Amino acid sequence: MTVLLLLVALAAVPVLVVPMTLALGRRTGWVLAAVFLGLAAALVPAGRDVLRGEEVTWSRAWVPQLDVDLALRLDGLGLVFVMIALVIGAAVLAYSAAYLSPGRQLGFYLWMTVFALGMVGLVLADDLVLVFLCWEITSLASFLLIARSGSGGEAASTRTLLITFVGGLTLLVAVVLMIVATGTTSLSEALASPVWQENGALTTTVALLVAVSGFTKAAQFPFHPWLPDAMAAATPVSAYLHAAAVVKAGIYLMLRFSEAFSSVPAWNALLITTGLFTAAMAALFALGQTDLKRLMAYSTVSQLGLITAAIGVGTPKALTAAVLHTIAHALFKSGLFMMVGIVDHQTGTRDVRRLPPLWRVMPWSFATVIAGAGAMAGLPPLLGFVSKEMVLGSMLDAPGPAWTGPVAFAAAAAGAVLTFAYCAKIVLGAFVDGERELEDCSVPEVREAGPALLVPAMLPIWAGLPLALAVWVLDPPVDRAVSAISDGGGYALHLWHGITPELLATAVVVLGGTLVVSRRRWLRPRLERDLLPRSGVQLIEQAVRGATRGGSWLARLVTADHPGRHVGPILVVLTLLLGAGTLAVTLGTDVPAAQPDLGRPIDAALLVLVALGVAGVCLAQSRIAATVYLGGVGIAVTVQLFALGAPDVGLTQLMVEVLTVTVIMLVLRGLPAGFGHRRHSRRPGPVVLALLLGAAAGGATWLLTGRREQSGPARYFIDEGTEVTGGDNLVNVILVEFRALDTLGELAVLGLAGVAIVAVLATVPDRRSEDGAAPAELRPSPDAAPQDPQAARALADPASNLRAMQLLLRLLTPGLVLLSALIFWRGHNEPGGGFIAALVASAAVALVYLARPEDRPVARPGLHLGLIAGGVLTALGTGLIGYAHSSFLEPLHGYVGGVHVSTSMLFDVGVYAAVLGLVMVAFDRLGAAAVEHRTTGPGTPAPSHAEHASAQEERA
Amino acid sequence: MSVLPLTVAVLVAGGTYLMLQAGLVRIIFGITLLSHGANLMLLAAGVSAWRTEPLGTEGASRSADPLPMAFVLTAIVITLAVTVLMLALARIGGDDDTYQMPDTGEDHHG
Repeated sequence: MTVLLLLVALAAVPVLVVPMTLALGRRTGWVLAAVFLGLAAALVPAGRDVLRGEEVTWSRAWVPQLDVDLALRLDGLGLVFVMIALVIGAAVLAYSAAYLSPGRQLGFYLWMTVFALGMVGLVLADDLVLVFLCWEITSLASFLLIARSGSGGEAASTRTLLITFVGGLTLLVAVVLMIVATGTTSLSEALASPVWQENGALTTTVALLVAVSGFTKAAQFPFHPWLPDAMAAATPVSAYLHAAAVVKAGIYLMLRFSEAFSSVPAWNALLITTGLFTAAMAALFALGQTDLKRLMAYSTVSQLGLITAAIGVGTPKALTAAVLHTIAHALFKSGLFMMVGIVDHQTGTRDVRRLPPLWRVMPWSFATVIAGAGAMAGLPPLLGFVSKEMVLGSMLDAPGPAWTGPVAFAAAAAGAVLTFAYCAKIVLGAFVDGERELEDCSVPEVREAGPALLVPAMLPIWAGLPLALAVWVLDPPVDRAVSAISDGGGYALHLWHGITPELLATAVVVLGGTLVVSRRRWLRPRLERDLLPRSGVQLIEQAVRGATRGGSWLARLVTADHPGRHVGPILVVLTLLLGAGTLAVTLGTDVPAAQPDLGRPIDAALLVLVALGVAGVCLAQSRIAATVYLGGVGIAVTVQLFALGAPDVGLTQLMVEVLTVTVIMLVLRGLPAGFGHRRHSRRPGPVVLALLLGAAAGGATWLLTGRREQSGPARYFIDEGTEVTGGDNLVNVILVEFRALDTLGELAVLGLAGVAIVAVLATVPDRRSEDGAAPAELRPSPDAAPQDPQAARALADPASNLRAMQLLLRLLTPGLVLLSALIFWRGHNEPGGGFIAALVASAAVALVYLARPEDRPVARPGLHLGLIAGGVLTALGTGLIGYAHSSFLEPLHGYVGGVHVSTSMLFDVGVYAAVLGLVMVAFDRLGAAAVEHRTTGPGTPAPSHAEHASAQEERA
Repeated sequence: MSVLPLTVAVLVAGGTYLMLQAGLVRIIFGITLLSHGANLMLLAAGVSAWRTEPLGTEGASRSADPLPMAFVLTAIVITLAVTVLMLALARIGGDDDTYQMPDTGEDHHG
């Protein structure tokens, strides 16, 4: 339970940060530091249990279908990392309160606390899926913290994200493989599975994937460039993430999984070679830096290399060394980062070439940096000395042939010489060697930092001294951490081991390092330049550019404004599929006999009408003519629907047909009269494809339909539908009850289409409306003026022309409204329902619009979108009512005053409103509003639709 | 002898031809014809031998299958939404040739 409370508390912190920063500004850091320390203290009782050998666990089913649990477990290893995250986090947050510029600093505190949550979650997670999720939270929070640090941070944060996401992907693959291989998502069970002894190839694959994931986060070669790159982030971010937390997430992952992989040769070899190579390489690069913060970054890479190599050795002693060095490094490196921040803060620079000798004016900082750098160099009597000795010594146990141990030992020692040299460079470069005068600094007076800055930075570094002298206090946690991931443990920690090879090596390192330091004036110009022709950052940029070019090249294959390039292949595939399938079924199997009596005489008559209409649509060169043919086809299909015994479908089709043709007419006013795209219509391709697909579709329909008895679902709906729903109209009850979720989706499509029309037409500026003139084709030109005197009169005086229609409207509108209500009400039992009722009401709207002598919107602005939103929300709300009974969209039945009512009728109201809203959008945006923009000027009446229609007809 | 497959064939062929043309309005007309064809195909799947309207349980053995009808009704309304949206797009710029970018007066280069 404790672990759950810890995580819940950490999850609450980011939420509380929002109001806290409003009230406290940057001083929020003090509160957060106290919270983190409080949480660490609250964990002490549970920690005691862990040190006694118990495990604190909590688990709750999360996705039971996949057997994924929200499982947490605190063991020795987790305890060490949680404490690092909380205690170092507290120090850094306290430091931030004084370091950051005054202001709200919401982003900083928010993402720092989100990061802490992810980090603690990662080390507590006992479920592989949860491990992956927390891993990604740390990646994202780290990205955001770098990205918010100004212009330099954006590119760097993207590169960081790229590298850490590579690690995220490899971890995801590893996690999936582990779940599949072991059959469990529990981390502890998966790691203890016998699979890792039995299946060598799988084990090696997963081990390598995990190693790569660990490398990306722990900045190991070749994934190391992100860490120096990430130095664009604010110093507190680096002190926490890049010294103690995010990079340690990689170390944690490798430590945790070494339980299963520490005897896999590929794991040992990869970790040891990569770790040692990275350690030496980064130490050399660190020596070449002049920016103290980048130097720190490379030194972190180097130190993490040593830890990685120790994990690779994999013996209990080596793992002890790795855990101890992780603790020591978290302490001295976070402190050193903060000290660099102090130097920067007090002098305005952190470049050793521009720093004056600071040791006189900043004595406390000087002493602290000496202690920190000394710990990093591995000098006694500091904690870094103890841990580095152990790491060096453990190299001798490297598995493999006899020579590997000594070679690894020598390589680590060689890296240590460079480490000693760059540690000396930190101290000498920042505090002693400076050639500038104090007065030359950009700040008026250089002086020691105040205690608010200095104390949080000094504490982690100076903690290394008593911890080294009384290193036995670390025995229990380190021992528990190691025994949690290996069979051994019990290596007592000592400051003094006697005369050992590693102590001799340290002596050699100090001698060699001193020699390098004494030659620093000769060495520096040779090292402080680009050692390689290309930096890692440039290589990443090159890779990104290459990928972008490849992507746009691939996109060019399919990019086209005209849809033919996309529609064509789809239609070809459809033809092949239908054609080949039909042929295969016909030739290969016994096709059951067709039901008798499939056709009726009226079908043949309608076929003739449809064929004539389709030919007309395809061949017509005038848009108006094609529209008329299209309407004809629609009517013929409508009759066919009625003939098939589908009155609801037929009614819907009829209304849709009327509205579609009306909307087409509105749109055609803005387009040329003829199609006029002859250059494409003569090609044979479309004709051939059309004939083939038509034949295939017809053949498939003939072959695959009409050859069975009534289906099971049909029988169910016909026999039981009325009884279950209380409605006689089966189509309607299917729509609003049985398959209401489909209908809800359909409503959303309708609504979105309406919103999209409004949005698209609002964002595309119509240039013709800006210059104030109506487009040429909208103005009836003199030669297009109708010759027929009656038509000319109608155009000249649209109001009197429409008088008859307005009279009709007065009679019809109440009738249509009544009819719409009636159709809606009876929908449950007889043909009708929300769709058809709404379409009838839409027809009334169309009539109102058409009967007006001038173009005006039919609805108040915003009404149509309101109807759409209201409709979708009503339908959704009705769905939620269903939860009162059992599930989403479950209809509830009841009687009000003896009349049967159901919540599905409320759902139908939603349908009604959304359909009406879409139709109103169409009329207002494509009709009235569109022309309203184009009025030719004050005093000139807007050209009316009737005028255009007849003008177009004349020209057609 | 069933006639519906022939009607479907004619509608699909016409729709396909129009969808491969340059003008967006013709493409829209093509989609309309294609949906007619697809809708009839769906209804044919309910077996056109039984054509009694599915209202209540009377005449159950001759009753048409209501499930494809519900599908088709949904499809018709979605076609309406798609058609209206595409018509709005066709109107932009005063020309619907999909091989030429319409001159909308929009500046794409800042």
